[in-house]
Amino acid sequence: MEYKVVMPVLSDTMDKGKLTKWYVKEGQFVKEGDKIAEVESDKATMDIQTFKSGVVKKLLVKEGDEVPVKSVIAIIDTQAKEVKNEKLKVKSDKQIKNEKLKMENDERKKNNELKIENEENENNKKNFTFSTLHFTLPKGSASPAAKKLAAKHGINIEKLQKENKLQIPAHEEDIKEFILKKYFTPAALKLLKEYQIDENEFRLNHKITKEEILNYIENKNIPKTTPLTPNQKAVIKTVEGALSKPTYFIFNEIEVVKKEGIKLTAVLIKALALAMQKNPLTRSILKVDKLLTYPSSNISVAVARKDGLYMCVIKNAHKKTLQEINEWLKTIKTKRLTLEDLSGSTFGISNLGMFDVKRFTALINDKDVGIAAFGSLIDGKIKVTFTIDHRILNGVEAAKFANDFKTIIKEI
Amino acid sequence: MLYRSALNRAIDECMEEDESVVILGEDVGRYGGSYRVSEGLISKYSEKRVIDTPIAELSIVGNAIGMAIAGLRPIAEIMTENFSLLAMDQIINHASKLRYMSGGKMTIPMVVRMPGGVSRQLAAQHSESYETLYSSVPGLIVLSASNATYAYYGLKWAIKSNDPVIFLEHELLYPMEMEFKEINDFDPFRAEIVKVGKDLTILTYLKMRYDVLEAEKDLAKKGIDAEIIDLNSLRPLDIETIASSIKKTKKCVIVEEDHKTGGMGAEVVAQIMEKCFFDLDAPVLRIAGEDVPIPYNRKLELSVIPTPEKIVSKILKWKAENGI
Repeated sequence: MEYKVVMPVLSDTMDKGKLTKWYVKEGQFVKEGDKIAEVESDKATMDIQTFKSGVVKKLLVKEGDEVPVKSVIAIIDTQAKEVKNEKLKVKSDKQIKNEKLKMENDERKKNNELKIENEENENNKKNFTFSTLHFTLPKGSASPAAKKLAAKHGINIEKLQKENKLQIPAHEEDIKEFILKKYFTPAALKLLKEYQIDENEFRLNHKITKEEILNYIENKNIPKTTPLTPNQKAVIKTVEGALSKPTYFIFNEIEVVKKEGIKLTAVLIKALALAMQKNPLTRSILKVDKLLTYPSSNISVAVARKDGLYMCVIKNAHKKTLQEINEWLKTIKTKRLTLEDLSGSTFGISNLGMFDVKRFTALINDKDVGIAAFGSLIDGKIKVTFTIDHRILNGVEAAKFANDFKTIIKEI
Repeated sequence: MLYRSALNRAIDECMEEDESVVILGEDVGRYGGSYRVSEGLISKYSEKRVIDTPIAELSIVGNAIGMAIAGLRPIAEIMTENFSLLAMDQIINHASKLRYMSGGKMTIPMVVRMPGGVSRQLAAQHSESYETLYSSVPGLIVLSASNATYAYYGLKWAIKSNDPVIFLEHELLYPMEMEFKEINDFDPFRAEIVKVGKDLTILTYLKMRYDVLEAEKDLAKKGIDAEIIDLNSLRPLDIETIASSIKKTKKCVIVEEDHKTGGMGAEVVAQIMEKCFFDLDAPVLRIAGEDVPIPYNRKLELSVIPTPEKIVSKILKWKAENGI
């Protein structure tokens, strides 16, 4: 990672600072708290220290230069370890070369000084830093941005293109892809994408494995990003919509006898459907300033499928036999759902009994007037909670409905 | 707010604030301005400060320069950019140079406002754009106002500027209803990032801003997330904003209505090459007018300038050709 050392604000009137002396050289290892430069403000001369350890990657300002406060003056590579003297020497050779180039550039700059000054005035004294190239451009057919990236990673574009390993001309994306493939195993790459980690977080000098990335993920506690499925988005929309309804609860306990080969949910659906026939308001939905009452008992059933939670609608449940309802419950788990399977209900059911839940409350689905939430069957009894939309069903009517249901289910 | 109302408000407020501000040009007074920009000003400030001139552009700008030297702040209105050719000697050879040649003793606090561009069947002699011409002249500041906000703040800044400003407008913009934003830290030289995007940078100005915005809807449908920048100031150019956008998107398209050869885009590309060559992942695309005088026939007229459809198809073709 790169740590950027900036020109500090040493007084409230300081807008520029003069860098009078560098205490460090490029390539040198510095420890947190080390003095790295001396700076002169409008009031005083002070030392700048680094707040992170690492290797000085670049000194961006020359001694004697004046730069605006908060502009970056040096970059420290915090991941680089202390380098041995040998490497330092090699680096300084490079530095000499760079310095030579720089000197030549400076001379050219001096010649253009008048011109540049003029330009600067025109640009309303906007600061623009000219970046100097610190690399040799690789040969081969590639865009400037691609070459810049390739140079940074020492990639030989020409050779790779001859070997058909790189597109002609190469774009930045191609080089990026090549770098990723070169330094990351396929499994590691997959993780990078899943966790949206920037590849530059790693030292690109060896093959990076899945384990290294997992380690990184754990150390930095990086969350895995999973985009929401359309179903999840739909569920969110529905449950958020449920919050806007004025609801109340009715708690009850019913007696049920389990039937061989028939799911308990099928029994609950059948009884609810029959109770609905006796209570027209449970077959009603609100439409602007009208109430629409349907003849059929169409019930939305919370179904946990592999692809998510769906409120599947069983139509005409009061006319169906227990076997038919039982069959519907089986097929709806896996069948490809159509809009018809998901609309047209007026009341809902959610059953968590199989998970040893004593009782719970559910949120009303879509336009339904209410929903019945069922807990586990304990000693022949189930606790049920009705969530009711008060706009359609008042307490008295809801209580009658709950009691009808209680009576009917005993007889099934 | 109407674009022309924004200009009117800027002039009105400046005239009220400062007695030395005057406006002169053909039909600016009794008629209220060819595009109703100076409507209502003559009754408020009298003929002394809202001056109807003869049809003589050289004298309009020449008089304005004289007024400026003598201490007024004149706003000279030229009816159409094409007519400004007649005032060229005064603008280029006098207005832009007097401050330099007098060693700073004379300043020319003058604005020359002029609408340009292709309107609707005004033919070759009333449809041209000369932003390239003016923005190549040292000593001039050239601003282009594509929207009500910049029209208001930009013109106010221009009137208060002590140096000559060429203030470019577009004929089709005057009757357009636009959103007006209050700005506290207005900088006339700052380009506006109209829409943030990551895939490519589209630079534009004046009326083409709206064609680009229209084209952008189509590009978005095709999964291209374009960043749109309105240049605003053509001289000086806000190359800093342009460069930082290109650094992000790596690709750049320039959309201008003027002829392509030697057009504004040519200068912008040259500056991009100087400042951010190594950030480019593809050659810069220039979408501009054809190199012909603007035809009168409506179909032909539209065929020689960029339209939203052409902008989209040219960008797609350029992407395909360059493998990006």
